[in-house]
Amino acid sequence: MYKYVLRRLALSIPVLILSSLIVFGLMRVMPGDALTALMGESGNVSAKELAKLRKDLGLDLPYYKQYLIWLWQMVSLSPGDSIFTNEPITVALKKSIPVTIELAVLALILGLAIAIPIGVLSATRQDKASDYAGRVAAITGLSLPDFWLGTLVITFAAIWFRWIPPLGYASLWDNPWTNLQQFLLPAAVLGFRLSAATMRMTRSTLLEVLREDYVRTAWAKGLGERIIIYKHALKNALIPVITLVGGQFGTLLAGTVIVETIFALPGMGRLTVEAILFRDYPIVQTNVMLVAVTLVTLNLIVDLTYAWLDPRIRYQ
Amino acid sequence: MAIATAPARSFEAPVTEQISRIRSLWTVMKRKPLGMISAALILILVLTAIFANVLAPYDPLAAQPEIRLAPPSWAHPFGTDDIGRDVLSRVIFGSRISLWVALLAVGIGTSVGMVVGLVSGYWEGRLDLILQRLMDALMTIPGLILALAIVSVLRPSTTNAMLAIAMVIIPGNSRVVRGAVLSAKQNRFVEAAQAIGCRDYRIIASHILPNVTAPILILASIWLGNAILIEASLSFLGVGTQPPDPSWGLMLSSTGRAFMEQAPWLAVFPGAAISLAVFGFNLFGDTLRDAWDPKLRRKG
Amino acid sequence: MPTDPRPAHSRSRVSRRDFLKRAGVGAAAMTPLIGGVTTRRASAQPTSPYPDWVPPSPKPPKRGKLLTRASAWDPPVLDPRLTNSVGLSQIATLTSNRLVRYPFSDEATSTTDLTLKGDLAESWQGSPDFRVWTFKLRKGVKWQNVAPLNGRELVAADIKYCYEQYAKEGVQSFTFQEIEGIETPEPYTVRIHLTKPNTMFPQNLAEPVSVIFAREVLEQDGDLKKRLIGTGPYILKEHTRKVRVVLARNPDYFEQGRPYIDEYHILSTPDAATRLAAFRSGQSDIHFVASLSDAGIVKKTNPDAQIQEYKTVQTVFGLALAQDKPPYNDVRVRRAISMAIDRQKQVDTLYGGHGILGWGIPYFYFQDKMPTAAQLGPYWQYKPAEAKKLLSEAGHPNGFETTLFYYEYFPEMTSQVQLVQQDLKKNLNIEIKISKLDYTTFYGRYAEGKWDGMSWGFKTGYATGLDEQTYQYMHSRSSKNYWRFSDSVIDELVTKLRQTPDKTEQKNLTKKVMEREHDQVTRMWMPYDAGFMVWQPYLRNTGSLALRRNDGYGASTLARLWIDK
Repeated sequence: MYKYVLRRLALSIPVLILSSLIVFGLMRVMPGDALTALMGESGNVSAKELAKLRKDLGLDLPYYKQYLIWLWQMVSLSPGDSIFTNEPITVALKKSIPVTIELAVLALILGLAIAIPIGVLSATRQDKASDYAGRVAAITGLSLPDFWLGTLVITFAAIWFRWIPPLGYASLWDNPWTNLQQFLLPAAVLGFRLSAATMRMTRSTLLEVLREDYVRTAWAKGLGERIIIYKHALKNALIPVITLVGGQFGTLLAGTVIVETIFALPGMGRLTVEAILFRDYPIVQTNVMLVAVTLVTLNLIVDLTYAWLDPRIRYQ
Repeated sequence: MAIATAPARSFEAPVTEQISRIRSLWTVMKRKPLGMISAALILILVLTAIFANVLAPYDPLAAQPEIRLAPPSWAHPFGTDDIGRDVLSRVIFGSRISLWVALLAVGIGTSVGMVVGLVSGYWEGRLDLILQRLMDALMTIPGLILALAIVSVLRPSTTNAMLAIAMVIIPGNSRVVRGAVLSAKQNRFVEAAQAIGCRDYRIIASHILPNVTAPILILASIWLGNAILIEASLSFLGVGTQPPDPSWGLMLSSTGRAFMEQAPWLAVFPGAAISLAVFGFNLFGDTLRDAWDPKLRRKG
Repeated sequence: MPTDPRPAHSRSRVSRRDFLKRAGVGAAAMTPLIGGVTTRRASAQPTSPYPDWVPPSPKPPKRGKLLTRASAWDPPVLDPRLTNSVGLSQIATLTSNRLVRYPFSDEATSTTDLTLKGDLAESWQGSPDFRVWTFKLRKGVKWQNVAPLNGRELVAADIKYCYEQYAKEGVQSFTFQEIEGIETPEPYTVRIHLTKPNTMFPQNLAEPVSVIFAREVLEQDGDLKKRLIGTGPYILKEHTRKVRVVLARNPDYFEQGRPYIDEYHILSTPDAATRLAAFRSGQSDIHFVASLSDAGIVKKTNPDAQIQEYKTVQTVFGLALAQDKPPYNDVRVRRAISMAIDRQKQVDTLYGGHGILGWGIPYFYFQDKMPTAAQLGPYWQYKPAEAKKLLSEAGHPNGFETTLFYYEYFPEMTSQVQLVQQDLKKNLNIEIKISKLDYTTFYGRYAEGKWDGMSWGFKTGYATGLDEQTYQYMHSRSSKNYWRFSDSVIDELVTKLRQTPDKTEQKNLTKKVMEREHDQVTRMWMPYDAGFMVWQPYLRNTGSLALRRNDGYGASTLARLWIDK
């Protein structure tokens, strides 16, 4: 077991290094410079001034040197400053990570709260009207682009209810009521897609499990439907669902990009996209590495949990 | 019992296997109306794309700014857009772009993913380790961000959006294929074939591939829908299809949103087209799974 | 200040009718526009239902309250030496002052009133040769009561320091490098020596980007990125990136009794649909729309909103060509392209008749009324047959292929680009491949000046003064000449302009510049509509004067705004 853990950890490191190379490479190959965005809609800056600015920001060093410097910054947990704002990246991250986490968690909760009951309903009433309705609703949820749903929601909230979530992000600790108002709609939009995928997965795994022998035995014994589903079937059906949700985490993070822009939330998704568009290399690289580390860690935990549960793997 | 029945199956020509596949699919579709509907939707999409220049009443690029933002009418059933182009014709031709994007992105993504997964899963060893680490690394970057970064590097265009989406698809596909290959390898008849000294490619073709095609096709059908959505999101962020090309994603995200209240038809029709296409692909994937997923089939 | 008894609404309608009469256009098609849908080609500029100037409120101003605005722009940096971006100006023009400024909404006589007024300077004088400018500062102006300034008095040495810093490094350096030296013979006098005569020099000091910043901050911090402290009506209380900016009233402001509003919150809202929703739900007090039909949409859900036309006096965008290389270095090619584009149609359709055909210098600098189509010269007319002939003479009878890259500043721009693409293909067989880019890629490529083919180019949006509009943008050796043209006649004219003190002579010279530009098609200006400002009904002393949009570069006028609630 010990060896297994070590092996898995050791394998994670090359993955992270490869991720960092991919991100670093992509950012450098992009046309345009953070400097040009910095100039804004200003006058043409002389080549001499541009060169000086470039030197100050360390952009004139050869690529491999820039990469190694940045790698050291990552490892020593001091990611340096944003090219654009000169603000330390840790400051930007401290402010934006809680926003995205809160958004993602709320979306997860809302999504699952809708998806699982509907999935159960669909599975137990397979091929009946409510099943069709559920499946159609789910697939519709999967067919609407995020930005379109978000735009519709915010526009019609303003027109019909003369209300939109209060702009100007307030943190959960400072002002919980305002904060919840701000996050409800965007979390619902984000969670909509997640709930669609989860609903279908719940339905299909539950269908499989309901056919298992032990469930049939329970039916034969005359146990009530409720008990069978919630006590026996659902528990086992949920394992692949949890795997799915874990896998959807990446999609969730990607979805925050668009939802954060439309609902004006200062989260990591918006930070990263704007940094890509402004060629603010340090921010993009740091953010993506952070997400990579998170995902790799999550995978590690999941794998280790499975290993712990499943003796076959443990003793490999 | 595997050993008694397997040899007969393992020396069956793959063609027969495919025919029985298709037959089982047809049976399932006949039983489930949603499956038929989805197949019909996809057929309509494909036919529209192929016969676009026959079906479209106007040139999708012909601008008549004097009649811009006109609501639906007999002359223009879907209305006109911000420079007076016929929206119906643009939606019809847009099927070409959306289909093109989806097919190419998924085609490339699936084939490359399949190759990587096959190589990884069949030969394992160091190659597997390296390839899988590379795939893992790609998967740690959230899809939209990876696509955005790639398109920003390659210059925004429909083709580059496709390539970017393909890159997003490859790692997940390779994982699935690898898993399917690994489980296929467990079968006794593969061991037997290897013991006899069958050539690798023969084994792969006859025994491994058939097990792999089902999950791949199911995944592909779902990714077809996703590819269309990612292209729309890239257009929203400003780095997708270039004007004046009539991609549904561009129509929805740019003029659709800009003139949402003055001319809702600019968004409704491309949006409905996207939804129907994605709907169709997803539902078809469901049907495929119902028909071909061994777990559901054997116990059904 | 003259008071016109007629309500503003009818006043502007009369002036528009006058214009149409003088333009010789028929009175037939003066139908007001509904939602931008026209089935017939309009042959005249219909009346805009909105006034282009809102007179100040006759009621006595009330103090207090909170002003909020959902803004599209985040300040990239707080350092005015490093950026001219409106993201900074929307704040810096309120926290800081300039030496001189343009009139505010409650003191202007018309929307195009650009009489220089003293801001930090009480009066100023140019030497007879216009090489030395002496400014007398107001006494008793205090820096904001924030450490390290702690409310000390502003003195001449502060001004000298600022201008020397601007000249040393950053994006303002081109403007300030014409200063040879600055003297401060006594604490309230600043004497500036120029390298060459410039009759319009004070205008450059009135540009919204030439704010006076604090020496102590630069010396202590090493840069101006962290703190923005000035002498202005509002103190920067909070700046949370990508969230909001909070500006609080400066109790020690040198203009007694002003500003009226206690706090101004600028909320970062990148998405256009969200900004509109914020206005509709009352979370944003000020909103900008780009077209007549957009204004109509807001009016439908918010019938009480005040809408003002932000007067279009110039175009900021046009078709930029790589004219230092073939084929565009041939004036016949440029003229042909210009004649092959139907500008009037763009105005009639995309802008609902409410735009201008396109010229590059604010018209009031060379004449009193808006230029008619004829006054823009022969190459600004739509003459496709002649264009084709000219292009063939220049050696391209079958057209050619080229590329065009742009960034979508607003949706109508994409429409325009595609219409141009169609016009050029149809009339000259020029095939254009369009590239719609993100902001960084576009700006980098455009500013670098090495691109081939075409671009939807611009000149920077803040310029108010004539010197900036002519010499700084059009001289062949200027670093702000994005259009890559070099015309000795223009060079001569704009240099002479700087040496001309007489206003009438200036007008004549500027007119010659404009005519030369349109003759040589050095910058192919395209139709444009400056848009409309939308205000909640309880705001007073609103009013975005020409070239000074008060949600952006013209924000300094918000010190005169008050809330009637």
